[in-house]
Amino acid sequence: MVENRPWLTLTRHILLWLGIAVISLPIWVALVAATHPTSAFVSGILPLWFGDQAVTNLVAVLSNDGGLGVSVSATRMLWNSFVMAMVIAVGKIVISMMSAYAIVYFRFPGRQLCFWLIFITLMLPVEVRILPTYEVVANLGLLNSYAGLTIPLIASATATFLFRQFFMSVPDSLLEAARIDGAGPIRFFKDILLPLSANNIAALFVILFIYGWNQYLWPLLITTDEQYYTIVMAIKRLMTSDNGLIPWNLIMTTTILAMLPPVIVVLAMQKLFVKGLIEQEK
Amino acid sequence: MASLTLTHLNKTYPNGFTAVHDLNLDINDGEFLVLVGPSGCGKSTTLRMVAGLETVSSGDLHIGDQRVNDLEPADRDIAMVFQNYALYPHMTVYKNMAYGLKNRGESRADIDRKVREAAQTLDIEHLLDAKPARLSGGQRQRVAMGRAIVRNPQVFLFDEPLSNLDAKLRVQMRIEIKRLQQRFGTTAIYVTHDQVEAMTLADRLVVMNGGKVEQVGPPIELYEQPASRFVAGFIGSPAMNFLTAHLENPTTLVLPNGQRLELPQAVDHSGEVMLGFRPEHLESCSPEQSDFTLSVEIIEPLGADTLLYGNFPDTDTLVLAEQSGKARFHSGERIPLRFDRQRLHLFDPQTELRIT
Repeated sequence: MVENRPWLTLTRHILLWLGIAVISLPIWVALVAATHPTSAFVSGILPLWFGDQAVTNLVAVLSNDGGLGVSVSATRMLWNSFVMAMVIAVGKIVISMMSAYAIVYFRFPGRQLCFWLIFITLMLPVEVRILPTYEVVANLGLLNSYAGLTIPLIASATATFLFRQFFMSVPDSLLEAARIDGAGPIRFFKDILLPLSANNIAALFVILFIYGWNQYLWPLLITTDEQYYTIVMAIKRLMTSDNGLIPWNLIMTTTILAMLPPVIVVLAMQKLFVKGLIEQEK
Repeated sequence: MASLTLTHLNKTYPNGFTAVHDLNLDINDGEFLVLVGPSGCGKSTTLRMVAGLETVSSGDLHIGDQRVNDLEPADRDIAMVFQNYALYPHMTVYKNMAYGLKNRGESRADIDRKVREAAQTLDIEHLLDAKPARLSGGQRQRVAMGRAIVRNPQVFLFDEPLSNLDAKLRVQMRIEIKRLQQRFGTTAIYVTHDQVEAMTLADRLVVMNGGKVEQVGPPIELYEQPASRFVAGFIGSPAMNFLTAHLENPTTLVLPNGQRLELPQAVDHSGEVMLGFRPEHLESCSPEQSDFTLSVEIIEPLGADTLLYGNFPDTDTLVLAEQSGKARFHSGERIPLRFDRQRLHLFDPQTELRIT
């Protein structure tokens, strides 16, 4: 429908630009703040244009030569976050693919029960079961470890369900052709199902990586050793300072660093992501 | 190559539904056997039992001398062509054809030679590096055939392989399948619901209905001597006409319009019978010689033939007559017609079996 209503168009555009401003202004402020010396914030007025301390701040944060509220460097925290996000994303994909394979392709007693048990855990995200889960992890001695950071978050009903739906859409005759071609269950999974799921895996990876990267409450709870701090949770810690002077420039530099990896993952896998969510391969 | 023996084969599903009931078949070495019937008649289930994709509830299944009831599909030395082709979408044509051989552990050189040979036979060499999504329906069909012949199996199994093609391509591929089967001399079982396809391909035809075999024999025998009303109505295109008639004595049949027909041979029956006659066995004649007069309601000119539809006199039964395409007819015309006395079929109205 082609309409020519200049006022409506104008209003729409103004609204859109306002929306963009609301979202991007804080990022702009963070970017600008990351380029000034600490002293620039004493007055309480935020500068709105770039300063000349970007590299100095970056080096300071990455190597942590003092001034941050924690003893570890941002490099270490980025690495912790990366390990956590990667292990969670890959672990979730591997486990949910295997359980979906079992549920869709094998007839065993209690198959439906298993599926519904997995499905019901959708109602039990970490936040709901956080105290008992903490208790279990603590008893296993997994506090302050990568295992403790990742394992309790790996089981995923959503991903299992997604793979189940995808596997059910794969024609039965493909399985039958593979059986006649002499492929057993493992070969069928490896040679046929895995390559066919590539797009789904990519799309899920993007979502799960960001999920893992953005974890806040769980790392906050189980890490007391600063060596295991993730970058997203550490930002809050940075705001405590010895001399009462909050190093806004360093905090903002860290924030920008924390935002980068998810952005890179989304940009790099954008095509696969869209394909995996909307396209059905013939 | 091998013969197949199906002995007292039954398939009952866990929900109690019997798909195949006491099936007995001997399939000769090198024979092209076609299973035909309406949907749900058990023909596909039978094929899938031979393939090993369905378990056999009871009975014995032999390929050659070996009982294969409990063998995995891959160990039965069969190849199957599926209705939707079931090509692996992420593999190239080459890999699709090579996959079965690779799983058998054949050497790379052997696989390469066999795949290229098969591709040459099917004229798909130029497609070897393409993926299935890029191929047309006919090309996919050829690849599916290629995947079957590359394994040089004992038995070819076809599960309605031509149903997804358009009419023209279907005729073309039909000829191709027949040609290939004759060339390799491999035993083949072919499932279809299309009786024309069945008639043209089969050495022997098996007509199935409701999980049971109605009749087995060469296509012409089934056309000329259908054992039951079901076979008579199913085989032949356009389909056979049926009328309720009355046997006055073993050689005289009374039609609903009062006309009396002298039968060429005496039959062993009396009272009511079902008379079957094919549209192509009605000839137009002079009014004095005619058995009945058809008032034409609908005309279907097909070029070579013209199909005339109208009610049989004094009944509500729609009758179809096939006439030469040369003659011109118009709706409402009354045409005197005569039965070919040698080609009348009589069926028992209760058992629906042929009366001789």
